[in-house]
Amino acid sequence: MDCYTANWNPLGDSAFYRKYELYSMDWDLKEELRDCLVAAAPYGGPIALLRNPWRKEKAASVRPVLDIYSASGMPLASLLWKSGPVVSLGWSAEEELLCVQEDGAVLVYGLHGDFRRHFSMGNEVLQNRVLDARIFHTEFGSGVAILTGAHRFTLSANVGDLKLRRMPEVPGLQSAPSCWTVLCQDRVAHILLAVGPDLYLLDHAACSAVTPPGLAPGVSSFLQMAVSFTYRHLALFTDTGYIWMGTASLKEKLCEFNCNIRAPPKQMVCEEIFKIASMAPGALLLEAQKEYEKESQKADEYLREIQELGQLTQAVQQCIEAAGHEHQPDMQKSLLRAASFGKCFLDRFPPDSFVHMCQDLRVLNAVRDYHIGIPLTYSQYKQLTIQVLLDRLVLRRLYPLAIQICEYLRLPEVQGVSRILAHWACYKVQQKDVSDEDVARAINQKLGDTPGVSYSDIAARAYGCGRTELAIKLLEYEPRSGEQVPLLLKMKRSKLALSKAIESGDTDLVFTVLLHLKNELNRGDFFMTLRNQPMALSLYRQFCKHQELETLKDLYNQDDNHQELGSFHIRASYAAEERIEGRVAALQTAADAFYKAKNEFAAKATEDQMRLLRLQRRLEDELGGQFLDLSLHDTVTTLILGGHNKRAEQLARDFRIPDKRLWWLKLTALADLEDWEELEKFSKSKKSPIGYLPFVEICMKQHNKYEAKKYASRVGPEQKVKALLLVGDVAQAADVAIEHRNEAELSLVLSHCTGATDGATADKIQRARAQAQKK
Amino acid sequence: MAAHLSYGRVNLNVLREAVRRELREFLDKCAGSKAIVWDEYLTGPFGLIAQYSLLKEHEVEKMFTLKGNRLPAADVKNIIFFVRPRLELMDIIAENVLSEDRRGPTRDFHILFVPRRSLLCEQRLKDLGVLGSFIHREEYSLDLIPFDGDLLSMESEGAFKECYLEGDQTSLYHAAKGLMTLQALYGTIPQIFGKGECARQVANMMIRMKREFTGSQNSIFPVFDNLLLLDRNVDLLTPLATQLTYEGLIDEIYGIQNTSEDFFDKLTVEQEFMSGIDTDKVNNYIEDCIAQKHSLIKVLRLVCLQSVCNSGLKQKVLDYYKREILQTYGYEHILTLHNLEKAGLLKPQTGGRNNYPTIRKTLRLWMDDVNEQNPTDISYVYSGYAPLSVRLAQLLSRPGWRSIEEVLRILPGPHFEERQPLPTGLQKKRQPGENRVTLIFFLGGVTFAEIAALRFLSQLEDGGTEYVIATTKLMNGTSWIEALMEKPF
Repeated sequence: MDCYTANWNPLGDSAFYRKYELYSMDWDLKEELRDCLVAAAPYGGPIALLRNPWRKEKAASVRPVLDIYSASGMPLASLLWKSGPVVSLGWSAEEELLCVQEDGAVLVYGLHGDFRRHFSMGNEVLQNRVLDARIFHTEFGSGVAILTGAHRFTLSANVGDLKLRRMPEVPGLQSAPSCWTVLCQDRVAHILLAVGPDLYLLDHAACSAVTPPGLAPGVSSFLQMAVSFTYRHLALFTDTGYIWMGTASLKEKLCEFNCNIRAPPKQMVCEEIFKIASMAPGALLLEAQKEYEKESQKADEYLREIQELGQLTQAVQQCIEAAGHEHQPDMQKSLLRAASFGKCFLDRFPPDSFVHMCQDLRVLNAVRDYHIGIPLTYSQYKQLTIQVLLDRLVLRRLYPLAIQICEYLRLPEVQGVSRILAHWACYKVQQKDVSDEDVARAINQKLGDTPGVSYSDIAARAYGCGRTELAIKLLEYEPRSGEQVPLLLKMKRSKLALSKAIESGDTDLVFTVLLHLKNELNRGDFFMTLRNQPMALSLYRQFCKHQELETLKDLYNQDDNHQELGSFHIRASYAAEERIEGRVAALQTAADAFYKAKNEFAAKATEDQMRLLRLQRRLEDELGGQFLDLSLHDTVTTLILGGHNKRAEQLARDFRIPDKRLWWLKLTALADLEDWEELEKFSKSKKSPIGYLPFVEICMKQHNKYEAKKYASRVGPEQKVKALLLVGDVAQAADVAIEHRNEAELSLVLSHCTGATDGATADKIQRARAQAQKK
Repeated sequence: MAAHLSYGRVNLNVLREAVRRELREFLDKCAGSKAIVWDEYLTGPFGLIAQYSLLKEHEVEKMFTLKGNRLPAADVKNIIFFVRPRLELMDIIAENVLSEDRRGPTRDFHILFVPRRSLLCEQRLKDLGVLGSFIHREEYSLDLIPFDGDLLSMESEGAFKECYLEGDQTSLYHAAKGLMTLQALYGTIPQIFGKGECARQVANMMIRMKREFTGSQNSIFPVFDNLLLLDRNVDLLTPLATQLTYEGLIDEIYGIQNTSEDFFDKLTVEQEFMSGIDTDKVNNYIEDCIAQKHSLIKVLRLVCLQSVCNSGLKQKVLDYYKREILQTYGYEHILTLHNLEKAGLLKPQTGGRNNYPTIRKTLRLWMDDVNEQNPTDISYVYSGYAPLSVRLAQLLSRPGWRSIEEVLRILPGPHFEERQPLPTGLQKKRQPGENRVTLIFFLGGVTFAEIAALRFLSQLEDGGTEYVIATTKLMNGTSWIEALMEKPF
């Protein structure tokens, strides 16, 4: 049994730890590590080395080299450092290398040594120079803390969203603190620093002195401090060789230790040691399985022992879990085999944990491989999540492995393969030595119609690299016009954007492009473009109708659309003009346009309208009252109602009002006036073109039965029955209907026979009907 | 649950619930008390989707109508504008927001665009300097609103005018989007038929939008067997005639004071026109109506009906009517007449040929023996006239359009058929006697009489097809003509 735990060493009374070599580093270091600035990213990330010539007495004549390696020592990048002296290096959570220069500038590099951006830590830092700097990580991202030559601290808690904070002064601080670190508590970054025997905590408002509880007496200076990755624990090293360990809140002491070393350590690391639960049942199970393989009956004995204690489930779980924490595949296999063996003797052991562990380990072993060099522990992997791990593989351009992992874990395409392929494509477009055609084709071949791949994102990247033509080619594969169009606009391919927008049918998109084009092109070119795109032209007209009336006119002019121009001026004659002259002038323009449009009817009608307007004006002047904007019909009626019959006649003649309508008009007006005498005169002026039934109707409408009866007698035979019924002469109506032998008329009269008075009439009709049927 | 929506062959409650869910999700994004500022036009359609109680449950405490200047005071955390994407509304919103900022406590502003977010509008807000004031700017794709168990409408008032007069396809785009939403809920529709320019465009947009969604396979078993897209301008006749079904009559008579005798005279004239009698000369009744200055809409409806039933009027007749109308009702109506001409409702006969009799005979639009008590044919809805649009639908389902190729060529716009392939697992095997379900979409509006006719076909025992009806707007001849009228003052 002891062979499995041979590499574990005791730590204190109840804990063990082990140390193992992950990789034998393959690097070929030209410098001694101690002469270098070193930054190793957490979670098995890359390592950066920068030979530090600025610490040496004599200024170096050769420029230093910045080397980046994978955690396994595979070189990733190497570049000559051409900027200023660097004080500190560190990796951000996104695996970007932050290089803090003495002047407070922070240069950011990708892990392939590609320069990303830079930012400054502020003027104060620039003036007082950087004495020391720390890169730290919080739940929001990665931060930078600076100690300046004036012994003041400046920090930014998130370099992704740079907000500089200058920390308060430490009272009486004359020289640099002996040691300091960044603490994160309650989502806020603080600075803990030691000045001789005193500890101070700086937050953004104040500086307060703090004392660790249970600190051994006699400390005259703190030489080193270290905080755990989670900011939960803190270790302090004093000049007496004494180490204090406790919570970072300085509220509780966990342990103390005297190492009898007085010299300050170069670096101190505070680790939370993973406590592996007692392996007892699991270990026994492992043994049992080994014996089983040897076909030894000891297997049975061990197994029985575990079962008797009722610990088999626990044993299986332990083996599975332990496998996760092993780095050696052989060891993982043994433990998993043991778990699988134990499972056989359990009725209902849920398979998920076993299956997931197997999957996780395959992924972990793959990325731990020497060539990949991401030595994550199982716990780190779980914290990081698979998505972030995939991102990191993508950062290292390990696309095939990332895709294999996605496929192996059966991740949904949108989160998995599509995302990786999109990243690959974005990398591909940066390969300047490959032609646009080849890149576009290669990308389309690989991506095809994979769901979730956004060709426009890739195109945007290509455009970002200055490859506009490639971007346009890639956009051809983008099925969503909503995505195509904005990018085409950005690339100043507005005309192409316009045709894409039109193709989509999305009018909002078309409008957007149009307004772009309008600003981009001169008016002539803009109008020409519209001319070739009828759909866009109609939309733009709609826009102008509401927003720019004058432009609308120009558009019609350009197209020689005289009909619409005519209508435009008709509208204008109402909208803009108050004075009669102005209105007439607008109408004249309209009439001219209608002539040009060969719409003679509209032209003539408009001229009539002008004539009428002028006339109405004159009538108002001469007669008073309101005439403007009455219709011709109403003008004539108003004249009759006002007793101006002559003028009414004249107007009717001038505008050639048809006789029939004029009769209706007069009839209605005279009845309204209740001028029965005039009405009768009018009815006798000549034979009515509308017959005499309307006279009957209109008199009845005014409740004048007496007058109505006068006209009823003159109504022609066809409408006689109707007229008689209107004036209430049912009996006579019946006689006429019988005389006409018209069934419809008979029914009509019958339906008017009400009550006792008409009883005789009804009988008469029935008799006539009966007689008609006999024949 | 809205019970009236779930009785039909297709449960439209599914759609209603989906849009309600979307609304709730949006409201919950704006945490805390809210006031809604309404684009007045939207209150009607929203009323069919969500009552005040739903809004109240999601902390909507106040409701205002969108107006210029400052907003009424309201002690709420969020102010949400529910608006159509129109530039003039953006100007009002900006005014509201700017005058609000000067007053004390800051509040969170949001915009919900119905039915679609608009870059154009956002640009306008940006130009007015208020775009940054909005925390959530989202869209609420309320395209098709369920009215009844078999009836959906976009309630887009201007759709006909925009599509057929102004060349503005916005409502067609919304229609296509609405159809995509329907397909997402009720499965891909395997066959699309269509007649008319707009129908062609909507079908094209649908095919294109489907391409945009490649990958996200629709795995819902299709509820609709086919879709029929119909342009309103393929059948301009039907809405002009007076509807004679119960619902149609209520729709027509409402607000019109006519003596019953005059109503009878009007019907007689309409029926003469539709059966092809004396359509080529000036009609006495119309003349008298003008002379007595009856309502202009009534006159226009009749003149247009005559024009459509004669494939256009002789130039002399047309000019006579137009002149009479302008002299009687005012010259400003020259704009309205122009609009009617652009829409094809009023036109001179070209080539001296009247195609209407051919169409009438082939499609059996006029039936002399109508049984209104126990109807056997859709012609009962107009007392003899069978709506052309519905006849097209009926003939499509049996025996198919191939039998009427000649007439289809006379009617405006292309006719077409598209197939949307389904994976084998989703292909339907119809049980014997099981009816097909057709979604018929009227682009430009539908009348109650047409709906009644389609419902009649749905309930025919040997009909073979049941219909679900969708439209840009529920309308009648009056509201239709009214929308085409232009009053410059």
